[in-house]
Amino acid sequence: MQKIRFRIKRFNPAKDRRPHFEDFTVEAEPETPVLDCLHEIKWHQDGTLAFRRSCGHAICGSCAMTINGQNRLACQTLVKNVGKNIIVEPLRSFPLEKDLIVNLDRFYERFYSIMPYFVNNSPPPDTERIQWPEDQELIDEAASCILCASCTSSCPSFWADDDYIGPSALLKAYRFIFDTRDQAQKERLALINTSKGPWKCHTIFNCNEACPKDIDITNAIARLKLKLNDL
Amino acid sequence: MVSWALHRLSGLALVAYLCLHIFVIHNLAYGPERFDRVMELLGSPAFKLMEIGLLGVILYHAFNGLRVIIIDFWGGTKIQKQLFWIMMVIAAALFVAGAAPIAGHLLNALAH
Repeated sequence: MQKIRFRIKRFNPAKDRRPHFEDFTVEAEPETPVLDCLHEIKWHQDGTLAFRRSCGHAICGSCAMTINGQNRLACQTLVKNVGKNIIVEPLRSFPLEKDLIVNLDRFYERFYSIMPYFVNNSPPPDTERIQWPEDQELIDEAASCILCASCTSSCPSFWADDDYIGPSALLKAYRFIFDTRDQAQKERLALINTSKGPWKCHTIFNCNEACPKDIDITNAIARLKLKLNDL
Repeated sequence: MVSWALHRLSGLALVAYLCLHIFVIHNLAYGPERFDRVMELLGSPAFKLMEIGLLGVILYHAFNGLRVIIIDFWGGTKIQKQLFWIMMVIAAALFVAGAAPIAGHLLNALAH
């Protein structure tokens, strides 16, 4: 067990005019997830600390936050990954609700704007819709996105303009546009072919660095640019 | 992100240089004497030093830009960091090759 020092950004909309940092100390093993430390603080030191979490197993995407400057899932990040002095902040560029909780309305608006659902109007076959393994490989990685918003919140293009569709929604667009079973490719390409679409990506790679699932998001956006070029 | 931020800054520096360049060239319109006077000013050690800086800025912007073009058209997102350093090694070699003669002129001018 070692003492871990936490600096957590706090904001109570009922009392505070702007966010401030508060310090906490937690006893933890090197293998303790940061999320467990936040639980320790909330359950035993300060019950008013607010943060989102659900599964605790890196699949729901609720506990994305900025830990030592980088967007990560608190449940997936171990103390030994980030050191003994840990700074925890809410995700950047989204409106702050309370402490580590941000308002993700904008994020989901962008997500729904690209038709994030499978479209195929041909009558369903008796079994599943067959797909070649190499076709599936194209979208395997993109389909493993858990919508944690780490990428979009890390993107300088999104910081500058939150009308930008953003890496997360563009990745979802890629997932369906490159799905050989899907039939709404044209509609989706038309939806993203605007000044707020892939053209706003400047190949900065922050999304790739932030993604807790190691998805090659920058590559997906580059493939979308080429696809739009072929239209 | 640092490579991108430097790309932006070097881009701004190039815009500033372009303005200066157009200003210098526009002196041609006032005849050879005036243009020669301006060119003499540009031959001064301070401007030679800035010229070396300009070379560095151009090479950074060109070769990082090339890296982004390669990534956008052909891929290479997984090796983007290695690509960055490969580009920087090429840019550094060209920088040394280009800056050496300018530095020679600069030292000559200072010696006289």
